[in-house]
Amino acid sequence: MESRISPVVFALVYCIVYAVVLAFDWPLFNYYPQVGEFTWGWTPKLEGAGPAMTWYGLMATAGAVALLAALILRDKVVAAALRNWLWLFPLGAMLACVYFMRIFFRQLFI
Amino acid sequence: MITALLILHGLLAVALLGALTHQLVAVLRSGAAVAAAGKSTFLGRYASVGQCGFTTAVVVLYIVTLVLGALIYPTYRIDVRIPFEEMMLYWAVGVFEVKEHWGGIGLGVLPLYAYVWRPQQASSHRRDRVVVTALLTFIVWSDFIAGHVLNNIRGL
Repeated sequence: MESRISPVVFALVYCIVYAVVLAFDWPLFNYYPQVGEFTWGWTPKLEGAGPAMTWYGLMATAGAVALLAALILRDKVVAAALRNWLWLFPLGAMLACVYFMRIFFRQLFI
Repeated sequence: MITALLILHGLLAVALLGALTHQLVAVLRSGAAVAAAGKSTFLGRYASVGQCGFTTAVVVLYIVTLVLGALIYPTYRIDVRIPFEEMMLYWAVGVFEVKEHWGGIGLGVLPLYAYVWRPQQASSHRRDRVVVTALLTFIVWSDFIAGHVLNNIRGL
């Protein structure tokens, strides 16, 4: 039986959305490990709650959007159109992450 | 408890990178001539495995390893990252940031990985199969090495 969720569409949309939400800091939610609290990503940061963790929320945003797209779009069309070029999407997302994190590595080059 | 989880996380990562590396070497050496000529060598025997058989194991190991990493992460954020920042080791913070984001991207790529390893995609998506497997292998190896280096600087 064919799955209703398109794995190729899910992965491609996930990679694109992950890079975008990382660039614009749009996690679905934040987690504050010092106080053990969650807040929605669009609410103001909690004062005096320590550092916020966005990673879980970034994956949740990318996963939710990708799931929606994977339910709407069909694999056959996308996989055929991008046959043997599908790998460009994860590679692009990985390179984008390094680019967005470049600020941490500046001290190595000064 | 966190130390036990960290050790388990590391052990599962070893199993994962072993499975992915084995599969990648096998698919890179799967040309008929290479396979026929190389069975007597160590690399030939290493590569002569059922490549598709690794896929489910890789997906399960990746998810379990990532979940364990996600459980450990809050402790890192409080007990390790803040001291890194106080020591002005911003490159170490950056290495962890890249590690976590590549790990997160790898999670989303798993459905594509499973798709390209379906037997019916063997010829139509050959390049996707090789490169996606190589990317996942690279993510797991680099995350593993980054985790060890950072844990050596300041352990949990």
